[in-house]
Amino acid sequence: MKRLITATAIALCLAPAAYAETFRWASTTDPDSMDPHAANSAPVLSFLNNVYEGLVRRGRDMAIEPALATGWEAIGEGEGWRFTLREGVSFHDGSELTAEDVLFSYQRASSEQSDVASWFATVSDVVVVDDYTVDFLTTTPQPIFPDSIANFMIMDSGWAAANDTETPARDAENFATLNTNGTGPFMLIERQPGLRTVLEPFGGWWDTVEHNITRAEFTPIENSATAVAALLSGDVDMINPVPIQDAERLSASDGVQVYQGIEARVIMLGFAHDHEVLYAGSTPGAPNPFSDVRVRSAVAHAVNVPAILQTIMRGSSQPASQLVGPDMRGYSQVNDARPALDLDAARALLAEAGYPEGFSFGLSCPNDRYLNDEAVCQAVVAMLAQIGLEAQLNAMPVANYWPELRADNFDMYLLGWSPGTLDAEHPIRFLVHTNGESIGTWNFGGYSNPRIDEMLPAIQSTIDEEARQALLDEAAGIIQDDVVYVPMYVEPLIWGTGENIDLTQRSDNFFILRWVTVN
Amino acid sequence: MFSYIIRRVLQSVLVLLVTGLVAFAMFRFVGDPVDSMLGQERTMQDIERLRENLGLNDPFVMQYWNFLGRALQGDLGISYRQGRPVAEIIMERLPATLELAAVSGLFALVLGIGLGVFTAIRRDGFAANAIMTLSLVGVSLPTFLIGILLIYLFSVELGWLPSFGRGETVDLGWWTTGFLTKSGLIAIILPSITLGLYQMTLIMRLVRSEMLEVLRQDYIRFARARGLKERTVNFRHALKNTLVPVITVTGLQLGSIIAFAIITETVFQWPGVGLLFINAIQFVDIPVMAAYLMLISVMFVGINLIVDLLYVAIDPRLRTEGKS
Repeated sequence: MKRLITATAIALCLAPAAYAETFRWASTTDPDSMDPHAANSAPVLSFLNNVYEGLVRRGRDMAIEPALATGWEAIGEGEGWRFTLREGVSFHDGSELTAEDVLFSYQRASSEQSDVASWFATVSDVVVVDDYTVDFLTTTPQPIFPDSIANFMIMDSGWAAANDTETPARDAENFATLNTNGTGPFMLIERQPGLRTVLEPFGGWWDTVEHNITRAEFTPIENSATAVAALLSGDVDMINPVPIQDAERLSASDGVQVYQGIEARVIMLGFAHDHEVLYAGSTPGAPNPFSDVRVRSAVAHAVNVPAILQTIMRGSSQPASQLVGPDMRGYSQVNDARPALDLDAARALLAEAGYPEGFSFGLSCPNDRYLNDEAVCQAVVAMLAQIGLEAQLNAMPVANYWPELRADNFDMYLLGWSPGTLDAEHPIRFLVHTNGESIGTWNFGGYSNPRIDEMLPAIQSTIDEEARQALLDEAAGIIQDDVVYVPMYVEPLIWGTGENIDLTQRSDNFFILRWVTVN
Repeated sequence: MFSYIIRRVLQSVLVLLVTGLVAFAMFRFVGDPVDSMLGQERTMQDIERLRENLGLNDPFVMQYWNFLGRALQGDLGISYRQGRPVAEIIMERLPATLELAAVSGLFALVLGIGLGVFTAIRRDGFAANAIMTLSLVGVSLPTFLIGILLIYLFSVELGWLPSFGRGETVDLGWWTTGFLTKSGLIAIILPSITLGLYQMTLIMRLVRSEMLEVLRQDYIRFARARGLKERTVNFRHALKNTLVPVITVTGLQLGSIIAFAIITETVFQWPGVGLLFINAIQFVDIPVMAAYLMLISVMFVGINLIVDLLYVAIDPRLRTEGKS
């Protein structure tokens, strides 16, 4: 009997070796579409980065590196950017990449139906200079333009024309919704939405192959307990994410390992700056205390972020001092310090602002958007109670959350922000600038500061790195002094894999197949 | 008789229309689909344009009217999330749910009747008592817990069965089946037990109590007195007469098996319409939600209609009442 068990155990250990190169992975969300211009969402862009490629791409350390363009340079005094294309690159169907494909992809990605058109808001024209040179002309100098188009994926113009998919579409079926023709390291073999998506390596890829996968299968698994069971039983080789509460148990289990890092997303508390009166709490209609910076500052001093990280995030995350994490471009080193935890100072600030007894208000919170979001809000409620602030928690699914925030139905709220450009300018543009039609669109609290509004265009167009950083430092200082938000922590990134898997975890939570090795 | 049928059919159509109206009135509380459809860099114009295009600015009665108008022409709309026709998506997913429902229904029926008869005949035996006690556990544990327990036992600990999914399927053109591949057959075991367990215990308890009732009847005693074999008495005479209520309940439960499949499908990542519906709620994919709810209500109403009509066909007393 004992021999039988040993034999079975050996067989079980050996069994994966036979399939070593088929890699199966699971994540909670299925990419909505296979069209790289139809959806500006992480699941879609992350998945399609394996199939399509941009002019530039991000390396393991998130730095920009050449991809379909071998080089790029600014034109004149910031009139635009010139990209030199790589020669001899072919699409999966064999046709060759030329500047026409780049122009076509730009037109497709900036069309009205596209969800990624905002990347090209400052592009006035795209000019094909010759077969391997393209100019992107911009209305103002754009120092980080190459960074901002790392996920702009190039599609074959001939293929798109032949299959009648020259514009992306979300309200009609489109050939590119289910089919792809990129230049990337993997080809789409099978696509069954919500069920299974199969990739195989593209033999004609231009770059050196580092992975050893012969076939990769993606399955969405919504239920996190099922995903953990699937990883433990060896039915999948990798899951993203691992629920925080399971991370410890998984790292202790045989045959699996846990990859842990931090994401680009900062979780913060936001305030109703411009509301006249309180929306919720036991005294709705009373004057809104959060328009007073002393009250906001009191909140910042009362929230015990290390305690939240230790208990709710189980030590898997890092505190944040500003709206972007330390890995992001333009992070302000001089504003590195978080407000100290100091309940006496917080009470004193409240008293000074005229609320010695505290007050009651509503804290809005999503319950299915960020990791343990509702639990974090409950902790914040308990911490604020210590300085006399009675927060009434109003937690709801994210599908209801954004409409509520847009309708100004909050006093204080939880927000997570992941800068799409991985640059400190991004949250200033969307969260801090006075809210308008296309900028300040996520500034729900209505904070408005003329100095910030004046600095944003300068930050966007300053090419000199040092001058630009000085502006970003000043902006980060103003945001901290005004307590526009209370940044709390950087969201953790927890992936689980079989112990025979090597991979690279990138902080934008993109899973890049070409860095996977199955041992 | 004919007027009875017409009346029942008209009632069914009315029920369907009201269900749809209630569903559409509820959609606004599920949330706003626009946020999940647009990326974080969307402008306010994008939001407004999309709301206008999708008709979300119309009152819900209007939205419902438009939906009905298109549905009658066979157009169920385009999924907000996938950008593909809803009818196509549902047809892709329906076989998975129906196969799961069929297998778990069969499991519930066969095992339920078998164990019900056994526990009735051996009513004081140790095995029968053990089964009755265990069945209580089966009824009281929630489905998702049973599913997760089964996964941990049979997939993680023992490694016998897959932890999720439907295995390999064979595409027959209009139907994808998991019955023709080994991995497909293995994959359906755990989900169908999870889904069918409650119905199984229900049928078992029903059969047992009916059986005990029948076994007390005079004709059973006379049959025994005639010296008929015990098996003939139990199965030819007793079981046959317990089956009428069992068939009624089974018919009605078939609908709830399909509706309750939502939880089982989520736990096992079973790619059926229930899982599709859960995803649709999270994404506020109104066309998919509407189509699913209409599908389920058509099914429930249809089953009830058939059961009602069957009563008339089976029970002569109802027919005479109808005439008088």
